[in-house]
Order: sequence, then C-alpha cells, then structure tokens
Amino acid sequence: MTKTEFLTLLENELRKNDITDAKDILSEYEEHFAFKLADGYSEAEIAAKLGKPSELAAQFENEPKQEKNGGRKFTTVIGLIFTDLPASIVFALLWVWEIVMGAAAAAFTGLAGCLILGLNFYSIIPAMPYWCGAIFGLSFIALAFLTVVGCIWFAAYLRQLMRVCSRFNHNAMAAASGKPVLPPLPANPQLALKTRRVLRGFALWSLTAFAVCFVLGMIVSMLSAHALPFWHAWGWFGYTGWN
Amino acid sequence: MIYTGNRKRRAYVNTQYKKGVLELCVLSLLKKRDCYGYEISEYLSDHIDIADGTVYPILRKLKSDGLLTTYLQEESGGPPRKYYSLSDLGKETYEKDKAEYLSFAKTIETLLEDDEHDEN
Repeated sequence: MTKTEFLTLLENELRKNDITDAKDILSEYEEHFAFKLADGYSEAEIAAKLGKPSELAAQFENEPKQEKNGGRKFTTVIGLIFTDLPASIVFALLWVWEIVMGAAAAAFTGLAGCLILGLNFYSIIPAMPYWCGAIFGLSFIALAFLTVVGCIWFAAYLRQLMRVCSRFNHNAMAAASGKPVLPPLPANPQLALKTRRVLRGFALWSLTAFAVCFVLGMIVSMLSAHALPFWHAWGWFGYTGWN
Repeated sequence: MIYTGNRKRRAYVNTQYKKGVLELCVLSLLKKRDCYGYEISEYLSDHIDIADGTVYPILRKLKSDGLLTTYLQEESGGPPRKYYSLSDLGKETYEKDKAEYLSFAKTIETLLEDDEHDEN
C-alpha cells in the first residue's frame, strides 16, 4: 500500500465513523510517513507497520465537548476585539512617527544639498559665509544618515511588535478551540547578525561625523563672525540689537 | 503478512491487553520530557510489539481526557512539530495508575507462580 492509498483509506474510514477533526489525525500519520521515509523505509513497509486503516480508525473516538468550545471561542473573539482595537491605533500612530522621521531625513538631505551647492530658495536659510554653510551641510548629511538608520531599525521593531501581536491573537484563538499553540515571539527584531553590525556601524559613523562637523561648523562660524554668538552677529532670527 | 485464523485471533487479544498498559507507558515517557508523536511511536515500538499506528489514537484520547496538552515548536528547516506535554492532571493520574498497575502486576505474578508450584 502506498502512502496516498493508506491516507485515503484512513480518511474514508474516519469519515465513516464521523470523526470531527480527521484532518488533524491525518497530519499525524503524514508526519509519521515523512519521518520513516527519511529513515529509508519504503512506503509499503511503513504502511504495513502502521496497521490496517480500518482498525486504526476504529480506535479513534469522538470528543464530546464541541459546544463548550463554541462559547469559549466567542468570548475570546470579543476579548481580542477589545485588545486589538487600541493596539491597532497605537500601531498606526507609531507608523505615523516612522513617516515623520522619514520626512525629517528627507528635509536634512535637502538642507544639506542647498548649503553645499550654495542654493537658498526664498532666502529661507539664514545668511552665512559659504564655507560655514558647507560644513554645516556635511553635518546635516550625517544627521540624515543617522535618521535613516533609526527609521530602518524602528520599522523592523514595529514589524516585530505587530508579528508578536498577531501571534498572540493566533494563540488565543488556538487555545480557545483546543488546538496546539505556537511559542510566543521575542519582542526585539530578529535582524541578521550582519545587518545589525552594518546598521550599528552606520549609526556610529554618522553620529561621529555629525558631531564633528557640527562643532567644526560652529567654530568656523565664530571665527569668521569674530563673535561667540555668531548667529547674532549675522542677524539671524530677526534680532539685530547685538553690537 | 499472512496469519492463520488462530494466530490472527491471538494477535488481536495481545493487542487488546497491551493497549491497556500503553497509556501508562506513554504517560511515563512524557513525564520525563515533552515529545512529538513520532518519537512516542518509535519509543513504544522499540519496546513493545505493536502496530506503529496504534499510538496516535491513544495520544488523542489522553489529550481529550485532559491528561496531555499540545504545543507547536518551530524546527529549523521544516514545518512546526506538535509536541505533547503532561498536564498536572496527567501527572496525578500517572502516579495513581502506576501504583495501581504495579500492585496488580504483583498479584498476577504471585498467582501465576502459585500455579507453577501446584503443577510441580
């Protein structure tokens, strides 16, 4: 008897005996075949050792607790709706934060581009000598990198949180209907070791570059404005009372 | 496999009385550690001459009686496996049934030995 023949016969016999979760039972026997086949047995040998499908099917009895499960399932669904509603609002808000941070990264890049190329649309950037602006521009490129790394990590973290939440949903439903549950997932994103290393490297380098360029830009600005509060010397923020 | 009528009947009787103690054997294995279905089937067929397929109805019955719980464990490179674990009720039942069975087996042993002495 082949595997398919055995399983079909068993399924028919189980149906005949009105066994409710025949699928579950069949999957156990299918798994048995898979293990034995991996050990090098032939399908006919395995089927012979398993026993006659009709005799096996006769040994299964129906569990008489269908109705109790129905009630528990219903309360579980109600409970899950009440936990999932606030959870999905929080997730939506966190994704909005991701979008805001992405926009910030784009703004930093744009600002850096303008400063380095010497562009100033509608005089939106306060006036300063080109070299001061260029150094600040470099620091903003670094800041943009840092933000992008942060966005990537935050997205991975959010994705993992959502998976944890859906696993919780799945397990709650499985437990309510008497099915086996899956192990809960860890809350931290399971990034590959290499990805994590690359991200950390990027973050550290861009943080360092940002700090160095920003401080350097301040120093150069102070020197060229001959004043510690160079922003006052250049009349930024509409304040001209200084000096 | 070709059985004569008599052998077939004897095999059936053997199966029936083995099945009674099989539940106890499954519980004793699961008391040591959690196992998936195939492991239990292999363990039993290593020690007791019984059709491989018999263990699955037993597992299902023990589960619906509340002696076992199941959970899925993800294995590397394959679908998740269903593991069986002894519930508190299962542990209790195992200890009780074990004591009962051992005292029963002792009685039977004494009876059978008495029988031998009488014959001699």
